[in-house]
Amino acid sequence: MNSTPEEPIDEAGVSRRSLFVRTGAAAIGTAALAGVAGCGSTTPVSESGGGSGGKGLLGDPTAGGPVDSAGIPLARRDYPVTLPRFQDPVSASAKPETGGVFKIYNYADYLNPDVLKEFGKREGVEVKVTTFDSVDEAFSKLSTAGLEFDVIVSTPDQLSKLVGRKLLQPLNEELVPNLEKNIWEEIQSPFYDVGSRYTVPYVVYTTGIGWRNDKVDVEPASLENGWNALWDATSQRGKTQLLDDKREALGMAMLHAGQPNINTGSQEIVNLALAGLDELAKNVRPKVQISAYETLPAGRITIGQMWSGDLLSGAINYLPKGTPASVMSYWYQAEGGPVFNDILTVAAASKKPIIAHRFLNYMMEPQVAYDNFVNYVGYQPPQKSLDAAKLFDEGILPKSLSNAVVTQEAYAAGNGYLTLTAEGEQTWEKAWSKFRAG
Amino acid sequence: MQKRRIWGFLAAPGMLWLGLFFVVAFYAVISVGLGNINTLYQPIPYWNPLDWNFGYLVQAIESVIPGGQNWPVVVRSVIYITVAITGALLIGYPVAYYASRHAGRWRGLVVVLLILPFWISYIMRMFAWTNLLAPDGYGSKVLSALSIDSLFSSIGLLDGTDWLGGQGITVIIALIYGYVPFFILPLFASLDRIDQRVIEAARDLGAPPPSSFWRVILPMSKPGILAGLVLVALPMAGDYYTQTLMSGSPSTSMIGNTINDYIQGGPDKSLGAAMTILLSVVLLFFMLYYLRSLRRDQGEVAA
Repeated sequence: MNSTPEEPIDEAGVSRRSLFVRTGAAAIGTAALAGVAGCGSTTPVSESGGGSGGKGLLGDPTAGGPVDSAGIPLARRDYPVTLPRFQDPVSASAKPETGGVFKIYNYADYLNPDVLKEFGKREGVEVKVTTFDSVDEAFSKLSTAGLEFDVIVSTPDQLSKLVGRKLLQPLNEELVPNLEKNIWEEIQSPFYDVGSRYTVPYVVYTTGIGWRNDKVDVEPASLENGWNALWDATSQRGKTQLLDDKREALGMAMLHAGQPNINTGSQEIVNLALAGLDELAKNVRPKVQISAYETLPAGRITIGQMWSGDLLSGAINYLPKGTPASVMSYWYQAEGGPVFNDILTVAAASKKPIIAHRFLNYMMEPQVAYDNFVNYVGYQPPQKSLDAAKLFDEGILPKSLSNAVVTQEAYAAGNGYLTLTAEGEQTWEKAWSKFRAG
Repeated sequence: MQKRRIWGFLAAPGMLWLGLFFVVAFYAVISVGLGNINTLYQPIPYWNPLDWNFGYLVQAIESVIPGGQNWPVVVRSVIYITVAITGALLIGYPVAYYASRHAGRWRGLVVVLLILPFWISYIMRMFAWTNLLAPDGYGSKVLSALSIDSLFSSIGLLDGTDWLGGQGITVIIALIYGYVPFFILPLFASLDRIDQRVIEAARDLGAPPPSSFWRVILPMSKPGILAGLVLVALPMAGDYYTQTLMSGSPSTSMIGNTINDYIQGGPDKSLGAAMTILLSVVLLFFMLYYLRSLRRDQGEVAA
């Protein structure tokens, strides 16, 4: 059975096309399950499995809207989605597991080691962090290598894939009371996970342009399209950065080209973005990496696309002696630019689900979230009690970088990278690998 | 007879170890590259050769021929590797020659110095250079004081003065620097084996030193040169971290980077595996050429 690469099949040998036909016909809850389990599965979906509520498609007889590669409807701000549950959450009355290693899968330098140590002491476990460079890499390793983690840090655009692949377990809300108590109301039941069935928010961020104002004389805010500052930085050739993340890189090129929909699967717009990146590569020859938090303070790059937390984390941890934080500046597109949050989830394979829930809850404690933010990662937690403006006034964080925190208003009005259809994802991926080939 | 059995017995665990880990790993790569993907774009390996699907291999071949998406990467890799192994030869041969024949009482020290680079891992040596060659690093300052950077940029080898800013020349120099010890050692061993009496015979028969070098030593060291070149060219072909650390720009990415991107990044793992198969086949071809010329040389020597 030599099938062409154009028509992928699932494990059970069903072509993707026929699967999609079924996806369209069946209730989405079942289809989501079929997308995961293949044609062998005729298990009826239980009441809790289907998901419901919101304006989401699940259980909606008018089903047939766009779905991701796992068969789950695409969540949008005006189209909230309740994710299906394939198992019951762990019981709140269960005893916490004791001893052993507690494993977290995360970006590098994205959790304060002191905070982790304190958690380990509190729960009597040894906390171990394994790192990934991109969420794509994380997903592919999780889904093929059968890695066993307890907590996985990820992004909302990966969520439905992780759920569809049964890599996550549903949360028991009783075990994460801090979500309701401490977190911004906007993210208590987010549109990408109505009812917070699988996630709690970790930190909020914006994506923008960071630069060394002692080496480059630019002011993106004064430009009609601020992203031009990067495209115009020809004098900084080779000392620029592009995020090593296909969504962020191509999405920025879309915003630069005046295309506001950064979640489109349109071949035409993706091609436009690719042309923009090619032009960027020609003009300013960026390094494709995510280490600006270290290379910008060190001066190895002078301007680049980066995340807001890179600036604050750089100012907190990586400034060379004698370099003041005021040499770093940041701009982000306030209207329609990426303003979003990362998520904490509990792995389906976790052997310590109770401790994992407790970790999520722990990270949402005001003091812990504060320590993690101000003393290490530089990304701000969406805590009700945290007054970021005060931190700058009091000089705890450098005032020149006050726009590197995310206000609640900016978050509510912001854009974000969201799940694409399977075809859309393939379109982006093709363009990205074409760009990476130089 | 008895002796042979003992050695066979002793070698068995090692052979089994190497065989198992090479064969299993490589077969897994083949099964993924000639397999398929599921609806989530995760690879499904086809373990049974009867099921093999050559679609991805065809796609990989199409991408590396002129006009294909990865054609520029192939051209770039070939240029980088060719220049780098030529550089390794020009730098390494005199060193190996000196160490084996003229080092005299310094010989022991020279051999230790040749092994010294192996004490520090390749990647750590590259990391050191990322700091030294940074715009305000000591290395850049020295190169700038000696006007080497302006010399390089005046002849078009360097664009600007930033060594780490996505420069092909930096990647090539780093490849030479990183791999030259691996070239020198086998060459040293081969030069060291040349019988002194053969050279003396050449002199006795009236060959002046240059002529005895060209007509005796160089031909006799050919297997060593070939072994050294193969030993450095093969890992260079799959190298991706040198490029990542010294440049990080798509304008200098090599074939190893492309495979890494496919396998680590997104939904094209099967294509990445197919590219790996393709690369292995090409390298195998060079390896066979090496083995053939080695046998031919040995034949000549024996005759």
